[in-house]
Amino acid sequence: MADQLAEQIISKIEEHADPAVGAVGLDTELTSLGIHSLELTEIIFDLEEAYGIEIEMNTVEAWSNLKTVQDMVDAVRALIAKKA
Amino acid sequence: MRQRIVVTGIGGLCGLGNDAASIWNAMREGRSAIGPLASELLSDLKVRIGSEIKTLPDHGIDRKRTVTMDRFSLFAVIAAREALAQSGLQVDENNTYRVGTAVGVGVFGAETTDDNYRKVFLEGKSRPEIFTVPKIMPGAAAGQVSMNLGLRGPTFGVTSACSSSNHAFATAMDQLILGRADVMLAGGAEAPMSWGVLKSWEALRIMAADTCRPFSADRQGVVMGEGAGIAVLETYEHAKARGANILAELAGVGMSADASDIVAPTVEGPMAAMRACLADAGLNPEDVDYINAHGTGTKANDQIETVAIKQVFGESARRLSVSSTKSMHAHCLGASGALEMIACVMAMREGIVPPTANYREPDPDCDLDVTPNVARERKVRAAISNGFAFGGTNAVVAFKAA
Repeated sequence: MADQLAEQIISKIEEHADPAVGAVGLDTELTSLGIHSLELTEIIFDLEEAYGIEIEMNTVEAWSNLKTVQDMVDAVRALIAKKA
Repeated sequence: MRQRIVVTGIGGLCGLGNDAASIWNAMREGRSAIGPLASELLSDLKVRIGSEIKTLPDHGIDRKRTVTMDRFSLFAVIAAREALAQSGLQVDENNTYRVGTAVGVGVFGAETTDDNYRKVFLEGKSRPEIFTVPKIMPGAAAGQVSMNLGLRGPTFGVTSACSSSNHAFATAMDQLILGRADVMLAGGAEAPMSWGVLKSWEALRIMAADTCRPFSADRQGVVMGEGAGIAVLETYEHAKARGANILAELAGVGMSADASDIVAPTVEGPMAAMRACLADAGLNPEDVDYINAHGTGTKANDQIETVAIKQVFGESARRLSVSSTKSMHAHCLGASGALEMIACVMAMREGIVPPTANYREPDPDCDLDVTPNVARERKVRAAISNGFAFGGTNAVVAFKAA
């Protein structure tokens, strides 16, 4: 089940993903998206802006260990919660 | 006695075609690729014409790579792949550090700059896209070629405006002669059909409204084009040892600077470069059958180039075939010399001099045999290609038949 936050993140990811990958879901592995690692950083920047959160560079490094879209959603949710 | 340097593969794309064979076929037929600009983004320019690559070939390069590349780098990689495939060279762990690349680029990733200025200044985006820097840098083409083909030898960009490709051939040749590499993929790439670049050329007031008519009395000036060309260069010994098919010899280069004006050419600079090239290649004026002229279609270039050729070649100037293939592929700036390399190599291989298209009226100040409109059959033993540039940075390359 994808909530609103997850849907928004998925649509951001889809803007960058290789169209051949097809539908992106929560269990989609980030490495299967055909996205360059730097582009993943760009998605993170997009999320920062969209949700008014700040991701420190060492957090960005930690993000490179995220495996699936679900992991990314959880990380953003945690940052939003921290901000609130 | 220095090592001989040979060409064992060629590749290219431009408005005339998406590979070297189609480019050459169009050149032989005297077909010009100059036409109305397609992009809506360019619709408010005074410049309405150019030579564009309307549809890219199906290159099969991963999206993960293409998102990091400006159009000029993509051109370079496509041309390099074609050239390497023709050469039959297998690059693997045994030779990867002995194969390098030098790619001439006169401008930079202008499409990326335009796109991101548009996003930031017009669309209110907070930042440019993340690959903006690595896409724009002029050295990116060489880096992308090395990454795509797994070349780990000397790899760098070369820049000198409109003579960039010829300087790339010259420096690549040096790497081979000095023993720093066994094979170099050399040439040039340019994608200048962006709003900012065309608008800037417009400001120089040297752009033709109708088409490019080099050496024709009714010429109006330069027409911009995009494309890339790459040659696989290697030492003769290396090519022979692996049983490669030798297409031509890169016999020598000649370079000079005008040291005069940033835009106005001199007669002496081009003369010095041509003389140095003949000397470097061990050619006498009578040995050369074809000159692929710089031939931009401006009055200043065409008349000065004619005088310079006459001074250097003396009596032989009258029996030479001259043509400007820019009448067909337009001025592809840093890629021009690389596309003209294809013209020279193929002219020698097929005994056909490609014409100067769009020619209408003789100009008494350009009275060499400029091969108007129709290709000419003749044996071409050696050909030189002139590259002159803003900045007065001249480079001339000489090819000999294999």
